[in-house]
Amino acid sequence: MFEIEIVDDGIVSVDGRLDAAQAVKAQNFLDQVEGQCVLDMAKLAYVSSAGLGVLLKTHKRLMASGSGIKLINVNNHIHDIFRYSGFDKLFEIVPASD
Amino acid sequence: MEQKFKRSFNELKNIVTMTESMFQEEGLEPNLRNVVDLATEELFVNMVTYNTESKEDILIQMLPHEHGIEVSLTDYNVERFDPRSAGSVDVGAPLDERTPGGLGLYLVLKMVDSIHYEYRNRQSKITFIVDRE
Repeated sequence: MFEIEIVDDGIVSVDGRLDAAQAVKAQNFLDQVEGQCVLDMAKLAYVSSAGLGVLLKTHKRLMASGSGIKLINVNNHIHDIFRYSGFDKLFEIVPASD
Repeated sequence: MEQKFKRSFNELKNIVTMTESMFQEEGLEPNLRNVVDLATEELFVNMVTYNTESKEDILIQMLPHEHGIEVSLTDYNVERFDPRSAGSVDVGAPLDERTPGGLGLYLVLKMVDSIHYEYRNRQSKITFIVDRE
């Protein structure tokens, strides 16, 4: 299961598992986003390299116009994957509070 | 526990179901799940993506291993590809130079405790172990 939507305050919320089977759905959604994008990962349980590729492509596109993606509520496991992949140096990341 | 899967990304949810069952039946440490899921997906996706000439299903086997799990993926009628020889990824490169290529296998090699490769009679078998720290 994977869901992506814009919630009330303009934040993009992702929920479930962002794997290779769901990467196209995520990319199609994020291709429509313009300007600064805040991605709430509080409900994201899992991400693979296919999901990282979606985030990288979108971040590059938005950075080209002076904005980018900010990731909030990132859990420990996903934060580990960002660190291993060096993405923690490319994205602004706010870890989950617990 | 073992199961065959069709060469489709749509099988990922069924692989997750198999892994869930394995963890429940063997009482494995839940903290190992994400690494097992990640390594299994990346290796499966790599087989589906690059071994395009084979029509055979991919076999996944899971066994308890000391305090963790041993997972094997076997692909049939394929060329040799040892994931341990995958090119390195410059994870310190700036954004402009970053591409997602190779990142999946890089993460697998970084996150599992050990990985082995066997190639015999055009069968390619990758086995990895994830154990409790």
